[in-house]
Amino acid sequence: MHAFSIPENLNAQTPAEIVRGRRDQVRLLSIDKDQQLFHNNFNEIDQFLNPGDLLVLNNSRTIPPVLEASQGNHTFEIRLSRKRSSTSWEALVVGDFLAIDRPIQLEEKVEAMITGHGSEHPLVTLEFSISGSNLLDFIYRNGEPVRYEYIHRPFSLDTYQTVYGSVPGSVEMPSAGRAFTWGLLEKLKRKGVRLAFIQLHAGLSYYEKDRWPNPNNHPEAFCVPEATAELIQDTRRTGNRVIAVGTTVVRALESAVTSHGEVEPIEGTTRLYVDEGYTIAAVDGLLTGFHEPEASHLHMLTAFLPKKKLMSAYHQALEKGYLWHEFGDMNLILK
Amino acid sequence: MNRRVAIITGASKGLGRALALSFAKEGYALGICARGEEKLEDAASELEELGGEVVAVRADVTESSDVERFVSIVEDRFGGIDVLINNASKFGPGPTLLADYPTDAFRDVIETNIMNPFLVTKRVLPGMLAQKQGSIINVTSEVGKYGVAEWGAYSVSKFGVEGLSAIWADELEGSGVRVNVVDPGEMDTVMHETALPDCDYELADPADVVDVFLHLATSKDNGERFEAQSFDAKGASV
Repeated sequence: MHAFSIPENLNAQTPAEIVRGRRDQVRLLSIDKDQQLFHNNFNEIDQFLNPGDLLVLNNSRTIPPVLEASQGNHTFEIRLSRKRSSTSWEALVVGDFLAIDRPIQLEEKVEAMITGHGSEHPLVTLEFSISGSNLLDFIYRNGEPVRYEYIHRPFSLDTYQTVYGSVPGSVEMPSAGRAFTWGLLEKLKRKGVRLAFIQLHAGLSYYEKDRWPNPNNHPEAFCVPEATAELIQDTRRTGNRVIAVGTTVVRALESAVTSHGEVEPIEGTTRLYVDEGYTIAAVDGLLTGFHEPEASHLHMLTAFLPKKKLMSAYHQALEKGYLWHEFGDMNLILK
Repeated sequence: MNRRVAIITGASKGLGRALALSFAKEGYALGICARGEEKLEDAASELEELGGEVVAVRADVTESSDVERFVSIVEDRFGGIDVLINNASKFGPGPTLLADYPTDAFRDVIETNIMNPFLVTKRVLPGMLAQKQGSIINVTSEVGKYGVAEWGAYSVSKFGVEGLSAIWADELEGSGVRVNVVDPGEMDTVMHETALPDCDYELADPADVVDVFLHLATSKDNGERFEAQSFDAKGASV
């Protein structure tokens, strides 16, 4: 759909706090409502926000979903994608063919059985031999974060968290808010920008072998709390802007819009696909990273900005050496 | 979720265990952790017999990965945390002059006693700030305020804990999250036996010093230092 390629040197391989001492030391490409482009440091984001604006953050926290597994002498990797129940997860099996009628061996004599297809190919559903807090404890003790091929160092789980992440459940970091420090959030609050939180537990964003999730078949658990719904209504009533920090926030808020166009408190699972033809109802701006051409996240951006303008901005980002992926630079799009 | 949730580190014995029992009796759901599995399970069973909801996690809170696991399991189970009591600490060698203090032991005590409240508080804070309320209570000691011969690295570390608490209380002023310290006073515990093996006077039972912790769980205090044994259970510090 979108024709560009990301040169190897623009894959952010190291978090900003390791390279430059603080996580907010990344760049910010802003596109205002007149579709003008601005180049700043991320910690200057306050210039683009007004008193009364509401920043909505996803405070889902990342768990370590990559588990080593085996059947007999055959070893492979399991990547958990979505919790289905206290004993069951949807997961991606990375590796060769498995005997689906035999248990998968994990560490500590824990076992899992494949019980069916996942929400879309190639995900499967796994039923574990332990449940609830014991299963989560096991995942924490034995799991690793998902590290894609452009990451060459085994950064710890801590590296894959936002400072405000609190509710465990995402298998990949909701990375749009990664560059915020508490200090920067305090600076925004002093300016009169308000903060609110939703939870959307992000599933896997890539299935390997050039396979990508289709949002229609990629359900994610989410919650828009009452206090957040009220703040959004209040912000819109007073003519201020709701800025979503991340595509996960757009997905959650748009899934919470009633037939009257209002955001209501809700907890559930969403399959919403926001793309070019979708009319955004709850959000006036989006802070996000830079996305790969194949990613559905990029399609979502075309609901905020005509595709031609978006591609023009992306080409400028490539020319100016902006960095891609979860440790990379940021992109603010205002409607 | 209306149920209130408290987490207590080092909850398998001494003051931590007494605090867990008293919070369970008050109807709190509890997340508790300790390094030793057996005593932790004993404590969890005792709390469950009281009708309490408990998540007990074996964890070393000086390790950030253990802190992440412990707090996440509690948040996943109960949906949030209202009260954090940073109780876990170690004494190190018995009475020792600083000049005689083994360097490795000094480093170990300082690291254990200062890093663990830092790590657990840092991990618990995002949830508390999102709900705009929370009470963090750090356990100190009389020797965290007065330098007394032969209390060694433990005393130095408690000065550190009081500093950590004062800074955090100032930074969180107005956020709804409060940080206070409590000196429980001298109690009949294994730690006290290590610190003062020849103690010849009567010591408080840990169960007798819990009132101030229950008070701070719901009060408005921030940045205060309380002495448990002179705390009036009616709500005033005397």
